[in-house]
Amino acid sequence: MSNLQVLAKYLPYIFDGSLWSLGLVGAGLGIGFAIGVLMSLGQVYGNPLIRKIVDAYTWFFRGTPLLVQLFLFHWSVFPAIGLRTTALETSMLVLGMRSGAYQSQIFRGSIESIEEGQVLAAKALGLSFWQQSLYVVLPQALRKAVPQLSNEYSIILKDSAVCFVLGVMEIMTRTRYVTIATGIALIPYLIAGALYIALTYLGAKAFDMVYSRIRIQGLVTG
Amino acid sequence: MSFWGDFLTRLSAGTLTTLELLSITIPLSIILGILIGVLRVYGGRLGSALANFYVFIFRGFPLLVTMMIMFFGLADVGIMLEPFWAASAAIILCSSAYQSEYVKTAILSIGKGQSLAARALGMNRFQEIAYVIMPQALRTALPGITNEILYMILYSSLAYVIGVSEIFASAMTMNSIWVRPGEIFGTIALVYLSMTTTASTVFKEIENRLRIPGFEGAR
Amino acid sequence: MTAAGEVLRVENLRKRFGKEEVLKGISFKVDRGEVKVIMGPSGAGKSTLLKCIDLLIPPDEGSIWLEGVELTSPGINVNQYRRKIGFVFQEFNLFHHLTAIGNVMLGLTKVRKLPKNEARELAEEALLRVHIGRDLWDKYPAQLSGGQKQRVAIARALAMEPSIMLYDEPTSALDPQLTGEVLQVIKELAESGMTSVIVTHEVGFALEVADELMIMFDGEIIERGNPSEVIYSPESDSAKVFFKKVLRLGGVGR
Repeated sequence: MSNLQVLAKYLPYIFDGSLWSLGLVGAGLGIGFAIGVLMSLGQVYGNPLIRKIVDAYTWFFRGTPLLVQLFLFHWSVFPAIGLRTTALETSMLVLGMRSGAYQSQIFRGSIESIEEGQVLAAKALGLSFWQQSLYVVLPQALRKAVPQLSNEYSIILKDSAVCFVLGVMEIMTRTRYVTIATGIALIPYLIAGALYIALTYLGAKAFDMVYSRIRIQGLVTG
Repeated sequence: MSFWGDFLTRLSAGTLTTLELLSITIPLSIILGILIGVLRVYGGRLGSALANFYVFIFRGFPLLVTMMIMFFGLADVGIMLEPFWAASAAIILCSSAYQSEYVKTAILSIGKGQSLAARALGMNRFQEIAYVIMPQALRTALPGITNEILYMILYSSLAYVIGVSEIFASAMTMNSIWVRPGEIFGTIALVYLSMTTTASTVFKEIENRLRIPGFEGAR
Repeated sequence: MTAAGEVLRVENLRKRFGKEEVLKGISFKVDRGEVKVIMGPSGAGKSTLLKCIDLLIPPDEGSIWLEGVELTSPGINVNQYRRKIGFVFQEFNLFHHLTAIGNVMLGLTKVRKLPKNEARELAEEALLRVHIGRDLWDKYPAQLSGGQKQRVAIARALAMEPSIMLYDEPTSALDPQLTGEVLQVIKELAESGMTSVIVTHEVGFALEVADELMIMFDGEIIERGNPSEVIYSPESDSAKVFFKKVLRLGGVGR
């Protein structure tokens, strides 16, 4: 069997990595969403101490490479606090914490773009802070943020490739194994690249669909 | 040798390599990004199609994939790049694609009246782009361009994967010898933080210096 | 052939945007030192006409002659002739990234290829002619008032030493209290012998400066002649309706 035939046999193996990559992205986006929403509220409405903490958090996660974060948390921070995580779990958590820093910036922008009158009207009705956030501010802010979340999706997708350094069985790890097994590198990596582009495209389509579903007529999108 | 002595030696060598990598990739990716951005807007059918394809590929591929292609992939067709140059090439290809995006958006944001006024003065297409459109577009694109440079500082660490002995590689070597991940990766994190913080402070200052009344709204 | 003293001749100019014919065969000529004013309701094609003359919008049909050269003939280097036509936009279109004097100098250094110091002298001269004082020369457009911006824009065109100036509603984008300073400058230039074609809604101004007044309606020149005759006793019904409105709004009457 020629190397190319072997390569053809391995293609499904690479494609199966998509599920792992998407799993990483899903976890990253989800965890990042929860962190991002809370921190953006803290940054906009919080007291100086909360704002300092949020600032420090985003400063750290946006100022260090993913590569460093993965190793730091996997080998030092998580073990130190008694978390014994697998490579996959570490990757999901780190991608999530990291995305949380970026998403908090996204939501902060969209929260600040909401007119003051909306909050005043909510206050005038006697809504509590959490009620204001939950029923008035976030429903508008999150809608406005969807296009940027779509962008964040494509960023995490590409970032998830870095998790191969911990040996997570996503696209890159599998592609590397295939290059070792077949001795061919160019074609497998081009295939991996094409796979990432396809996943980016599919994800963007999905976000577009969500966006057209939840968009409100007349609510200007930022 | 003591842990910290060993670390300092390796770290400074790694830092030097990272700075070398950045001093090559940052200017080249900006220049290429501007050229490609201009081509995407003014390149005509063929030029803009080619430029758009370039961006489609190198923005679409994770940097890591491009890096693997430059180092391992090109070897398949007989092109053997040193790790340092393979990494440089990959970073330039990827970042210039992103840079071109900021440049293109900025060019398209310039009002049509500017171009009309340039033509009314008798400027040809080249003069119009060089003296009227680009000076404004580059000011508008500046925050995007500097932001991409911050990403380049962070993502240069991926060069470790193909064997460039930059900052992160020095940490990996240290950890394999001393196995003190907390101190090692914590210190490395601080090194990157100080680099990105310094860079963003410098960029803010540059943006302030280049600020012109009337361009505040553009940022 | 060129008549003596003729600067601009427009013959049978036509332009259509999609289905709509915006210019339906416009012809007129402008002699040296002459001031032509064009009036008419918005959408009549006045602005398109001026932009076609400067070839900022390519005409579909017809010819344009500047000092005996046909600009519409194929193969001509448009830029070489555009610099001889000064164009003043309704929206000023000052270059945002350059100071007032930088705006005036750009065409001189890049198109006329003059050395910097010479360009600066000409620019200063032009700025002084439109009453932009030394204190404003280094201000950026965003730091100038609308009237100042438009006067700098006039200086920018003037500094190129054009054979003719085209003004496309130069005061329409200005607050009413700022129109005076701009109209005053245009009037002074006209009186100094600058050949001009001015599109405006200012009736009083038209009466003062125009040698000939042309009324455009629906892509055609429907009336032309002595300004006060055209304004106060127009022949066509469309012109009557137009002036009735304009005179009431503008408050200029006898």
